[in-house]
Amino acid sequence: MPILSWCHWLQNTPFATGIRQSDLLFPLIEGSHIMTLSLSVGLIVLFDLRLLRLAFAAEPVSKIMEQFVPLSLPGFAGMYVTGVLLFIAQAEKVYLNTLFRFKLALLVLAGLNALFYQVKFYPKMAEWDNRGVVPWGARISGALSLIIWACVIALGRTMAYEL
Amino acid sequence: MPLQQIWEWSYSSKTIDILRNVKYAIPLIQSFHLFGLTLVLGTTVVFNLRLLGLGLLKIAMPAIAKQLWRLAVGGLMLSIATGILVFIPDPARYVANTAFKTKLVILLAAILFHFTVFRKVIRANTPPPPRRAAGVAAVSLTLWFCVGWAGRAIAFLG
Repeated sequence: MPILSWCHWLQNTPFATGIRQSDLLFPLIEGSHIMTLSLSVGLIVLFDLRLLRLAFAAEPVSKIMEQFVPLSLPGFAGMYVTGVLLFIAQAEKVYLNTLFRFKLALLVLAGLNALFYQVKFYPKMAEWDNRGVVPWGARISGALSLIIWACVIALGRTMAYEL
Repeated sequence: MPLQQIWEWSYSSKTIDILRNVKYAIPLIQSFHLFGLTLVLGTTVVFNLRLLGLGLLKIAMPAIAKQLWRLAVGGLMLSIATGILVFIPDPARYVANTAFKTKLVILLAAILFHFTVFRKVIRANTPPPPRRAAGVAAVSLTLWFCVGWAGRAIAFLG
């Protein structure tokens, strides 16, 4: 399997070995990966809750989106960078981990769900926002986002037990 | 309080055996611990970004406090409840762990600060002077993120 041999090569590069064997670096990267949950998923959850009218129901959805979503982007950037570093350090084991594959699939799904919202509901947001009614599809998209991110966190925590 | 007896009881309890022996019981509980962390740290970041004037300026501070306080408290309850469930199957390991003891002390300080000074500042109708806001935000962010980091350190300090 070419991917597996590539992972084998990747985790044996001096860079990967350096991270893996460092008493300080590995825990720091792993800890940062978890702490950035606050700025990434933490903020997206608030937007999802607004779509479901469970928070900030008195504020327009467009305002909540404009205020919260851009702030989550540095959080997601930190999340992906630390995630990639963790992968590089243990590429072979992680690649073979079934839970990791589920996690990756769910991350793709989270991206597609966000894209679906952008394409289907964002263009007409001003219109439905003025009426004060969130379309059912947008609510489902918000609920899906909450479920997907909860599963991503659970899979991330559990996969570490299998490494 | 005979703490030692509580550890011994919980270590030998048959009910608590389930937590130790069912595959994925502990990781699943820890996942919920992290859902709580996401809510607590997430709302803390939001409160403090607004307090420092670094974002969310179109929403009034008291409105943010009113909307998100329940989530912060809910997240904290979830993390404490699941934290207890992770602790009881193996109490001896945790009480001997320096990172765990440090975490408890900082957590207590964080809770105390959050429910007194911090709550009052974020609920006030008039914003605090910038220097006071900066001081309050620095204490709040330092305390809560140190709770998180100390928690992560438990696994690495044996």
